[in-house]
Order: sequence, then C-alpha cells, then structure tokens
Amino acid sequence: MVNDKEIISVMRQNAEEGFQLLMASYKEPVYWHIRRLVVSHADAQDVAQETFVRIFRNFQQYNEANSFKAWIFRIATNEALRLLGKLKNSTMLSLDDVTADMLGTKADGHFDSSDAITMKLQQAILHLPAKQQLAFTLRYYDEMTYEEIAEVAGSTAASMKVSYNIAKEKIIAYMNNND
Amino acid sequence: MDKTFDFEQVGKRMPYNVPDGFFDQLEQNVMAEITADNTATEKPKVKARTVKMTFRILLAAAAAVALFFVVTKNLPNDDTQADTFANVELAYNNLSNEDQEFLIEIYEEDVFMIENEEMDY
Repeated sequence: MVNDKEIISVMRQNAEEGFQLLMASYKEPVYWHIRRLVVSHADAQDVAQETFVRIFRNFQQYNEANSFKAWIFRIATNEALRLLGKLKNSTMLSLDDVTADMLGTKADGHFDSSDAITMKLQQAILHLPAKQQLAFTLRYYDEMTYEEIAEVAGSTAASMKVSYNIAKEKIIAYMNNND
Repeated sequence: MDKTFDFEQVGKRMPYNVPDGFFDQLEQNVMAEITADNTATEKPKVKARTVKMTFRILLAAAAAVALFFVVTKNLPNDDTQADTFANVELAYNNLSNEDQEFLIEIYEEDVFMIENEEMDY
C-alpha cells in the first residue's frame, strides 16, 4: 500500500495520477467513516463523492506539518456533519432516539439486521454525543492517534482521549444493559 | 449473572454493507467529476470563448456590411457627401419604414451589447 508521503509527492507532480493513489488508499476507510456517521448508504455515497472532490480541489491548502490522513478525515467529517445538519429528521447528532428499526430504515437496505451484536454496537455508538462518537470511531475503527483525532475534530489530544474513554465506558454500559 | 461486554466479540464488524462493485464505481464517479472539472476550467473554456467571440465578430461584421449597403444606397446624391452624422441621419430618414425597423432591430440585437453570464469566468 502506498504511504501518504508518496501520495502527496505524486499529487504535487501530477494531480490526477496522485489522486488515483489517494483514492486507492482512502476510498474505503473514508466511506466507512462517513457511513458510520450518516448511516444511510445513499447519503454516505453522496458525501463520500463530495468529500473526494473537495480533497482534490483543495489539495493545495493541505499543510504538510499536519497529518494527511487527519486532513482527509476532517474534510469527510465536515461533509458528513453538513449533510446531517441539512436533514431535518436526523437524530444522529442528538442521539436520543436511535432504534434498531430506525437504523435499518436509515441504512436503506444496505444493512444486515441478522448480526444483532454489531447492530447493537452501532446503536450504542449513535447514542453518544458527537464528540465522543467521533473520538470512539476514529480510534476504534480507524486506529488513529489522539493527535490525529484532535486534528480531525479541531480539539486537543488530551480532550479527545478523555472523550474516547468516556465513550468506551458508555458503550460497555449500553451493551450490558440494553438487551 | 454478571456480564461485561467485550469488544473482541464484535471486532470491526458492522451491520452495514454496500452494493457489489460500489467502491470501483465511487472511484470512477469521482475521477469523472475531477476530469470534467479540469476540462471545463482549462482549455475547453478558452476554446469555447474563442468560438463564441469569433461568432460574435462575424455577426457584427455582417451587420456592419448590411448597414453600409443600406445607408450608402440611400445617401443624397450631391457633392456634400461627407462622412457626417447629418448625412447618416438624412439617409436613415430616407429609408422606408421597413428598412428603418431592420436597422433598429440590428442595433437592438447587437451581439456586443448582449449580456452573457457565460462570459464571467
């Protein structure tokens, strides 16, 4: 797999060629990150496409002093939050009314309800406040450092570490108590 | 019985899936949009603009030629045939109503006077 430095280097020389390397490395993790936030496949598809187009258009603004991965995920997160802000009936960020049925509906068919425990874990994650949700998913699924998560969230590493630990405790409690 | 959830039970599995070939399609869509972007913002726009300008110039030239013939044909036939506005006005007044309307129409539709949003790049 190509590393970020190589992607950046190629993009500087030939934007489209470099971007193909970027897509190869990031299309799946970025899509899944977005999908965990917006739930619906159709929405995630739109947001992912818009995210990558923005990444391409704004590449010159990327500061190499920061993590490339975090920069990409920050754009993806902002796009996902922008969409959620537009959706009147979205409860993803108020996170109080997420039910199994709703999760299924929002997943618009591309959803496996037979795997009960994974569904329950997603419900637990969706019940978290946005900052904790972001801290948990970026650490648990994307294995980011707290510094990278902080760059994505526009916060500090210490704050994101606290958010992650609180989120983890809440999820464990949810998983133990909601049968 | 006391039980504690273990993340190992789930790992990174999720209840979500995507249609077959989705990621390839996503990549193709993005690359197509980017390529179209580049194409639209670089050479083709310049080319389109050039074609549009050439068309306008040709139209204007055609209008000018038409005006020249119509006016000169109706200029008074005397020795004071100077290039003055008075002569042009006189020639215009000598035109039939139909010809006058034709000239007005040409000026009203002057391609250089038409505002065109596409020109704002």
